[in-house]
Amino acid sequence: MDTSLVMTGLTNVLTLTNIAFVVGGTLLGLFVGTMPGLSATMALALLLPLTFTFDPATGLSMLASIYVGASYGGSIAAILLKTPGTPAAAATVLDGYPLSQQGQAGKALGISLFASFFGGLMSGAALLLAAPLLGSLVVEFGPVELFAIAVLGITIIGSLAQGSVINGLFSGALGLLISIIGMDLTTATPRMTFNNINLFSGVEFTIALIGLFSIPQALTLIENAHRDNKVASRITDRLVPRFAELKALMPNILRSGGIGIATGLIPGTGGDTASWFAYNEAKRFAKDKSRFGQGDIAGVAAPEAANNAVVGGALIPTIALGIPGSSSTAILLGALMVHGILPGPNLLTEHGDVTYTLIWAVMLSTVSLLIVGLLFTKASVSVTKIPDGFVACAIITLCIIGSFAINNRIFDVGLMLAFGLFGYWLKKADVSPAPMVIGLILGPVMENGFHQSMLIGNGSYGVFLESPIAVVLLGIALISVLQATPLFRWLRAPFKRRLKHG
Amino acid sequence: MRLKTLTAALVAGITVSITPMMASADYSAAEEVKVLIGFKPGGGSDTLAQLVQPYLSESLGVNFVNEYLPGAAGAIAWTRLTTQSPKDGSVISVTNTPMLMTNYVMNDAISYRQDDFTPLANVVTDPAIIVVSNDSPFKTFADLKQAAEKKPGTVTVGNSGVGGDDHFSTLLVENKAGIEFKKVPFQGDSPSATAAMGGKIDASFNNVGTVYNQIEAGNLRALAVLANERLDILPDVPTLKEQGIDVVAGSSRGYSAPAGIPEEARKQLVAAFDKLATNEEFLAEAKKRALNVDLVTGQEYDQMFQDVESQVKEMWANMEASDSQK
Repeated sequence: MDTSLVMTGLTNVLTLTNIAFVVGGTLLGLFVGTMPGLSATMALALLLPLTFTFDPATGLSMLASIYVGASYGGSIAAILLKTPGTPAAAATVLDGYPLSQQGQAGKALGISLFASFFGGLMSGAALLLAAPLLGSLVVEFGPVELFAIAVLGITIIGSLAQGSVINGLFSGALGLLISIIGMDLTTATPRMTFNNINLFSGVEFTIALIGLFSIPQALTLIENAHRDNKVASRITDRLVPRFAELKALMPNILRSGGIGIATGLIPGTGGDTASWFAYNEAKRFAKDKSRFGQGDIAGVAAPEAANNAVVGGALIPTIALGIPGSSSTAILLGALMVHGILPGPNLLTEHGDVTYTLIWAVMLSTVSLLIVGLLFTKASVSVTKIPDGFVACAIITLCIIGSFAINNRIFDVGLMLAFGLFGYWLKKADVSPAPMVIGLILGPVMENGFHQSMLIGNGSYGVFLESPIAVVLLGIALISVLQATPLFRWLRAPFKRRLKHG
Repeated sequence: MRLKTLTAALVAGITVSITPMMASADYSAAEEVKVLIGFKPGGGSDTLAQLVQPYLSESLGVNFVNEYLPGAAGAIAWTRLTTQSPKDGSVISVTNTPMLMTNYVMNDAISYRQDDFTPLANVVTDPAIIVVSNDSPFKTFADLKQAAEKKPGTVTVGNSGVGGDDHFSTLLVENKAGIEFKKVPFQGDSPSATAAMGGKIDASFNNVGTVYNQIEAGNLRALAVLANERLDILPDVPTLKEQGIDVVAGSSRGYSAPAGIPEEARKQLVAAFDKLATNEEFLAEAKKRALNVDLVTGQEYDQMFQDVESQVKEMWANMEASDSQK
């Protein structure tokens, strides 16, 4: 049964329409990634509503390809402008920009492209191998286990925020609160709806997502519109790297890809963590460390292989457990939900065809990235010349159309704008919106799981201890909470001291 | 202004599908009939609309244009139909029973009532079915009933959500059989069925259409269907009726207009639905999509509305009474 689903997914992806959308999506992702200030998450949030009317295979293929395209696109601005196009490309700046100053921009981009390609392929393969294993576990997941997963996901919220843990928790708690809006599942009582019928089914998470991720971005662009844009230099040397160079980089790329997959697996850590991690490891393994930071191609290959490998890694918990590994995968999860597919274990059984379609789409996008990248990298440089004001207006227009299209409701447009303004304020206050989105998604899973478990267990909390899976998951959650408290630091202190002396 | 028209045009392009016009007779009330659908495109109501409307279009000679207004379990579309739509026969809606009634019986904030509608016709019914995991100790409904009698309120039974048709079917069965289950609401049909499959709950109330494949695959065992007679597709599954519990329930979908539309328009619409009963092509198409045709038109559909409403009210009152005792 599993193999047939895998093949169904493959045939779903390999239609002419889908291939066209994947190529288009990669190109779009490339451009968005190149533009400093626009993130892959934002592009996905904006384009999600456009995919509603597509069939699931086409919609998911396009979103996956935008994600993959933007992961590489981020390195273009990093290398040419010294401004990472996406946060995940920040590490690429260190060696990429010196290379471009030495007139080797093409070489740097070529290495980045091929490293991205291999990283992406590795993560796709990991995803394909892991999915069937997880699929067999699925029936074991009932309300009790789902509750435990949601608790685990929520404890990780703190780490999702870049910077302050308190800010992350604040944002996550807000998300949980907002998820309470709507009808209670067990009693059908409307909560916090102000008797407004538009709120009875709760706050649609895609609406919040569009507002939170796109509007603040657009407003910031407008704020900075008067500043002089840095104009990228032209690429003069050749893009395709020499075979010998690639061969020498292969161990580095494989290691970085592995790091990317592993980092992606941990919910809450994304491409930025993975690329710094891979960069540091590459430096540690290098024979000649002094060249790092002066324009070593290994310093370009490592973060780029890692941040593309994160895509597949992050999709594993998303698909198997319905817990997104990053804010970008949260949106892919949203795309699945739009097509009537609830997050969680069902993704691999009942909706296996759609899920495998997504997995194959990641693979196909990686191949498409290599081709599109070779053809259009030089052209994408001109994207950085578009004035910020134009980009901002286009984003806001798309936000409005997108949020209306979800339910044909003007109420949703207002709601999206409210989230947008709130998100802008959060941004000024240095609070990341990502934990809020996770809270919004996991809130209902946790609440429903809790109510159902209580009903099944006759009101006894013991029901959570009867399931081994739930015990393990809750245990990990407990550890992840404790490690952030002084208690853990105190416990660890003796080991740390020994390490220092040893 | 330009943005507004652009938006409107875009949205119209995205969400509206127009049934091809094939003129033969003429509908008197309007050039075009708008159909409000209270659920997402691709859902059960949309499936029905895609099936039925080409045939209606053929016999009435007008186009049917769908407008999707998902949210609040259909209540947004039905509120729009009854309070904000012209009562001239130019706007109708896909109406689901018992969802239409449970919405306002359970929730005072929903303002429409059953008599705000002109019921036209019910078209399909997906009968309720009781399923257990394949290795469940419950082999028949009698086993399940016995267990519930022995220890009232401990046998866990899943449904697709409070106020949904499966929850309502469970209440009806409890009431008729004089037993009490522990009802566990899930978010939709398949999570409830999956929980039963994994043995997380003792049984699940579902609709035939949503669990048929799992029954065929041997993952779930059906104990009883809540239909008038055994189904062609599941000939070995007994009805509850033959086991002495007279409950027929399920999820039904049909069409209604707002109350107070011109009598002539109502007659023409109902006549168009009546024609479906003998349309071989329509019946074959419905079978192909695994939809169980259950045509109930005009006055009889009106009666069905009233019956369902009084049942829903009674069940809800019972439930609230027993909740307040606890």
